[in-house]
Amino acid sequence: MSNIEQTLDHGHVAAPPLRWRELWLKEDWWAIWLGLGIVVVAYAFFANGSSIKWLAVTPARWTTFSQLTAHFAGNYDRYLAQFIVWLAVFSVALTALGHKAREFIPSFIVLYVLSVIIFTIGQWDKAVIYNLEPPLVALAVGLVLSNLVGLPRWLDAGFRVEFYVKTGIVLLGATLPFTLIIWAGPVAILQASIVSIVTFLVIYWVGLKLGLDKRLAATLGAGGAVCGVSAAIAISGAVGGKKEDAPIAITVVIIWAIAMIFVLPFVAQYLHLPAGVGGAWIGTSEFADAAGFAAAQTYGNIAAGGAVPGTSDQAVIAYTLIKVVGRDVWIGIWAFVLAIIATTRWERTETGGKPDAGEIWWRFPKFVIGFLIASLIITLVVTNYSLADYNKSVVPALVAPIKDLRAWAFTFCFLSIGLTTRFRDLAGAGKKPFAAFSAGAIVNVILGFILSAIVFAAHWENLGH
Amino acid sequence: MTEPKQQGQCRTCVHFRNDAKYLETVFSGLTSLSSGYGSVRADDGICLRHGRYLSARASCPQFAAHGTTPLQDETRADSTA
Repeated sequence: MSNIEQTLDHGHVAAPPLRWRELWLKEDWWAIWLGLGIVVVAYAFFANGSSIKWLAVTPARWTTFSQLTAHFAGNYDRYLAQFIVWLAVFSVALTALGHKAREFIPSFIVLYVLSVIIFTIGQWDKAVIYNLEPPLVALAVGLVLSNLVGLPRWLDAGFRVEFYVKTGIVLLGATLPFTLIIWAGPVAILQASIVSIVTFLVIYWVGLKLGLDKRLAATLGAGGAVCGVSAAIAISGAVGGKKEDAPIAITVVIIWAIAMIFVLPFVAQYLHLPAGVGGAWIGTSEFADAAGFAAAQTYGNIAAGGAVPGTSDQAVIAYTLIKVVGRDVWIGIWAFVLAIIATTRWERTETGGKPDAGEIWWRFPKFVIGFLIASLIITLVVTNYSLADYNKSVVPALVAPIKDLRAWAFTFCFLSIGLTTRFRDLAGAGKKPFAAFSAGAIVNVILGFILSAIVFAAHWENLGH
Repeated sequence: MTEPKQQGQCRTCVHFRNDAKYLETVFSGLTSLSSGYGSVRADDGICLRHGRYLSARASCPQFAAHGTTPLQDETRADSTA
């Protein structure tokens, strides 16, 4: 019996509108509850003269194997406690979303153990020499396990790429001054908008020239222009595409996004782009949030190793501003506009509905709200501190532990990308959709480079200074 | 083509499937870089009657409220697609 039949045999009931139930039935909101929950608890400890840094343990930099064993022998209780906390909070969230705890728990054990190994490899003092960047190692290990070794499919219950990346983004907000978002946001929006509109139009136009259906061309265009797979399915739903359209877009986005994770950071390094510039370029040229974070974090690590100017934070912050603030938040508007065009200008289908401006809010990536609130909270908390006091007491006791927990969330995400990407399972995309998407991707990369490394280079190079 | 009449929305139609877990099963690779549980999907789903991916607020002349149409034909059609 196929998976689809099994699903149908379980019985189908009509689902009422989500409305307020979205607060516990969408992972965006759970990422907010978890992320902000961590921020609030971290602040509560900090305000009482303590810190959550005991719990936010990460492998230390190491040179010899004896250093490594000494670290784990001295800190195993901290890792155990951290594992239990992650397991508890993720179990609550995923159970509320409808997953089975008995499937999630063993899966998360595998994910956490692999994450400790990846983290440890990344902390080896010779890791940079061998290009053992943790995001790339995590992705490669995941891809090997899922495609060559083979893992039971039920283990996917704990490999929730989007949930982990959204939680990580909310935590990232807590390490980013709100003033920086206000200062750099408009340029990020301008740059991202230029690239998004041009990329969409190229994919759409080439798609039509190749004879693709308008709805498929728009679905592919949104996948390349806005936020990858998430945008593709949002637009496919908004314009009422064929049910085969979304899987085609998923396939081409995954192939391009994973290739770009490995290519963009090293091309940027070859061109000796400053960290902020490289991050901005990755933000305009990657397609999915999770894939982009893997590339941006890799480039941040390259910068931290001294191979290019700038800091690790600059790469990640520039990427986040372009991708999350500049591109992701506009998906609702894209969906609303394309729904209007689909119902008024394109050939009609038997199914349909009147476009509704509510679409802009319904499809808004709500985790961005958590990202902004987290930034606002920490910015308000540190307002009365001098820079010296901030660096001396706030960073080690409050900001650094949140940053370390963010690093864990992203590691879970990077590993999960590889562990859930089974190339043989992807739908056949066909040459024409792949060609149309590729045309847009190439224009996107070139235009993104011009805007990041030439037009707005000074802006991104000095980000956060 | 006929203009959709004012009838029930897809969300209450027997032909419509928008459960996140179901969509993650049908759309291979969806969980690699996205999710069925994200806000951007809203409550879109698949119409088994028309083979389209639609907003839950869409409608069409073939609307059938729950309890009025058997599922067997669609189960077979979908599993052989």
